[in-house]
Amino acid sequence: MTLQECYAAMGGSYDEVIGRLRSERLVQKFVLKFLADGSYQLLCSSMESQDYPEAFRAAHTIKGMCQNLSFTVLGRSSSTLAEALRNGYTPEADPLLEQVKADYASTAQAIQTFQAEMEA
Amino acid sequence: MKNKTTRFLIASLIGVAVLCVFVFSFLAVFMGWRSLDTITQVGTIYMTGMNERITMHFATTIEYRLSHVENMISAAPPGSAGSLTLREALVEGAGARGLSYLALCSTDGSFEMLCGNPVQITDPEPFLDSLNRGEQKVAVGSDTVTGEKLVLLGVSTSYPMSDGGECTALVAGLPVDYFKSILALDKEDSLVYSHVIRKDGSFVIRSGDAYRDSYFDRIRSIFQGLKHQNDSGQVVQELAAAMEQNADYSTVLNLDSERRHLYCTKLPYSEWYLVTVLPYGELDKTVRSLSHQWLLLALAGCSVILMALLMVFGKYFGLTRRQLRAVEEAKQAADEARYAAEEAQEKAEQAQREAEHANRAKSEFLSNMSHDIRTPMNAIVGMTAIATANIDNPKQVQHCLKKITLSSKHLLGLINDVLDMSKIESGKMTLNIDQVSLREVVDGIVNIAQPQLKAKNQHFDVSIHDISTENVCCDSVRLNQVLLNLISNAIKFTPEEGHIHISLYEEDSPKGDEFVRIHIQVRDTGIGMSEEFKSHIFDSFAREDSARVHRTEGTGLGMAITKFIVVDAMGGSIQVESERGKGTEFLVTLDLERAEVVEEDMILPSWNMLVVDDDRELCESTVKALQSIGVNAEWSLDGSRAMEMVLRRHRRRDDYQIILLDWKLPDMDGISIARRIRQELGVAVPILLISAYDWGEIEHDAREAGISGFISKPLFKSTLFNSLRAFMSPEDPQEEAHPEESLHHLEGRHILLAEDNELNWEIASELLSAEGLELEWAENGQICVEKFQTSPAGFYDAILMDLRMPVMSGYEATQAIRSLDRPDSQIPIIAMTADAFAEDIKRSLEFGMNAHIAKPIDVREVLRLLEKYIG
Repeated sequence: MTLQECYAAMGGSYDEVIGRLRSERLVQKFVLKFLADGSYQLLCSSMESQDYPEAFRAAHTIKGMCQNLSFTVLGRSSSTLAEALRNGYTPEADPLLEQVKADYASTAQAIQTFQAEMEA
Repeated sequence: MKNKTTRFLIASLIGVAVLCVFVFSFLAVFMGWRSLDTITQVGTIYMTGMNERITMHFATTIEYRLSHVENMISAAPPGSAGSLTLREALVEGAGARGLSYLALCSTDGSFEMLCGNPVQITDPEPFLDSLNRGEQKVAVGSDTVTGEKLVLLGVSTSYPMSDGGECTALVAGLPVDYFKSILALDKEDSLVYSHVIRKDGSFVIRSGDAYRDSYFDRIRSIFQGLKHQNDSGQVVQELAAAMEQNADYSTVLNLDSERRHLYCTKLPYSEWYLVTVLPYGELDKTVRSLSHQWLLLALAGCSVILMALLMVFGKYFGLTRRQLRAVEEAKQAADEARYAAEEAQEKAEQAQREAEHANRAKSEFLSNMSHDIRTPMNAIVGMTAIATANIDNPKQVQHCLKKITLSSKHLLGLINDVLDMSKIESGKMTLNIDQVSLREVVDGIVNIAQPQLKAKNQHFDVSIHDISTENVCCDSVRLNQVLLNLISNAIKFTPEEGHIHISLYEEDSPKGDEFVRIHIQVRDTGIGMSEEFKSHIFDSFAREDSARVHRTEGTGLGMAITKFIVVDAMGGSIQVESERGKGTEFLVTLDLERAEVVEEDMILPSWNMLVVDDDRELCESTVKALQSIGVNAEWSLDGSRAMEMVLRRHRRRDDYQIILLDWKLPDMDGISIARRIRQELGVAVPILLISAYDWGEIEHDAREAGISGFISKPLFKSTLFNSLRAFMSPEDPQEEAHPEESLHHLEGRHILLAEDNELNWEIASELLSAEGLELEWAENGQICVEKFQTSPAGFYDAILMDLRMPVMSGYEATQAIRSLDRPDSQIPIIAMTADAFAEDIKRSLEFGMNAHIAKPIDVREVLRLLEKYIG
């Protein structure tokens, strides 16, 4: 699985990211680091403990990272969630969180597959 | 006032001067007189003493001589011896005593000479009387033989005489000269001289130059021929009278050239009088010189005082004049103040009148406005009701909504104008000066006006003449407002098929090289306006109310706002020319500052170009603009001549590289010329169509005829450049921007990056480090502030700040950094955020950040901003 295929699997834009970062090595490096970031876990736990400002910040961070890495699909859903949490809790937040979780799972899946194949 | 004081001063000066002269003259005269008087008194005292001395001397001499005679008598008393013996004894005694004459005198006055020649007494009676009374007496006689004058001394005695009788006295004689010398009467070196005279004035002893017999005669002769001739008689009379009374007499003889003091006293033992004369010549001279000195001193004193007076007067006069002037000035100032006050009052009254007028106008305006606002409001309300009633009829609803939209727009326009006007009236309208491209302004206006122009089927043209400075400093919104107002008025009041023309031209500004004077002319062939209305067109709340303009649109404020913007806010001028039925022309003149930024270097290859347009001015100005960007251009006013020029070049195998064609030409239109050129030249040469209109309608035909593209009026230099650069072939030398090259100086700069997410940090760090920047990571706002605070001043060149961070947000961190007391507290701070909301951008700027970039960060954008702030 190539990096491009990985992007295609998660619903990201490889062209865009390579246009910005200009080096496949860099893109690969950062993509592999994405899973190490704790923002997603923070988002889930804050939502659970109903700490919505913290949840907003976490969603916002995920959105920022996705924008940086051009993870379009996860970026879109996390952005929508962040907007829903911007001024505190709104009822839309729960289904949006589910969407983010699903998108994150597929993104993580793609990255893990890519990583596994590369190491192999 | 002034003359009165001056007159008083001069009069008092003259008065004081006269008084001074008078007092000093009096003093001089008085002192002169007093000195003469004193001299006279001194003379009197001196002469009295002198006479006394002489008199005493005389008396002593006489007594001495008489004692001689007495001694002779006592040595040979009568009867002691015989007559002869006695006589011998007497003669012997006389000889021993130096008496040259000796005689016996009988009672009847006959003399019997004992020795010497016979003697004749000059005045015998008083002498004899005295002798007969037994007194001793002196008299004068003369030697009958020699005629010598003698002084005779008689002493009573009774010697027998030769005739047998007894004598009454023994008389001895002495020459007069003896007395003279004894008495020192005619001492040569003495000033004073004396005579001895008798009562009748005859001389007993003459001295000096006297030669007459009578002293009286002498006095008279002295006075002879002089001014005081008549005084002589009086003097003689007084002298005679004094002698008669045996009194002393003293007088001063006033001869013209001199004065003489005369003093007369009686001599004892005789009927004689001693007259002493003292000429005052020397004394008078001395006194006169003293007087002269006095006079001179007095005059000198007088002049000193006068001088002093004059000076004091002068000073005082000057002072007075200054005071007068000050008074005069004060008066003038007071007058001026009064005038000013009157003027102010007048102005106040005028202002009041104007205020009343404005008030009235406002009331009228308010009622007009209410009406104007009510009309569209009624339409909106009505249409809304209709739409509600026909909610199921989409066509009807659509129609209603269209009407409502129109009315709303109209209403909005009204309200905007009213707001502008109230801003102007309250002085709150200020200009927002920014760099403005005249080209963009005119382009924008043409675009806005196009639909209306097309709707009214009006002919529209824009011409630009020699605009060298496209970029100026101006408030673009207000400039747009002015131009739109003028153009929309032109469109509104010009009938269908009318012409509207906008032209722009430039001039040197009288305000200096940094300014440029721009004239904007908007001309139409509309209905024009009356002279009367023309003079009121710029008044607030004015609009022409006539049958021709029955359907008024707008508020009547547009021109007042326009004038305020142009004249009061921008310092320009606006003029209007209009004639009913012919059209209107507005000319706006503005002095605008040239924009600081140097215009981009616009250079095109040295093409040969042809410009074809029926407007000569457009041709000339376009050719000039093209030449200034390096193109060789020629022009033609009509199509056939243009064709000739094209063909001539073609035959020379030196074709035009680009041709600009006007769409509408007098003989043939641009499209047919293009077609013919294509036939002759083939497809190689780009042909551009110049048009002030939207070319959508003609594009198809034009393309078909071989037009390569369009270029829109107005033809600014930048319009030409931007349209033509597309036709530059790649091998043409063109200045390309090389951003990479210009960035090398960012190498080694220290950037502090605040970002809570490690991944984001790493990406940014990776990308920016690759450009040579030194990055430092701050995990949140708090750390960012601390890192900045502990760094040496000037260590960091810029801060990239994420806005949403835990612990401390980017906003707070920026605020904290800005408030630090450090020389570099104003370090450039660039916000980075994933939120591209306008509020975030605005807020970040409000918190003191310099700029904002959106995430995901684009290296080029970051570098561009860094270049701007720290490059």
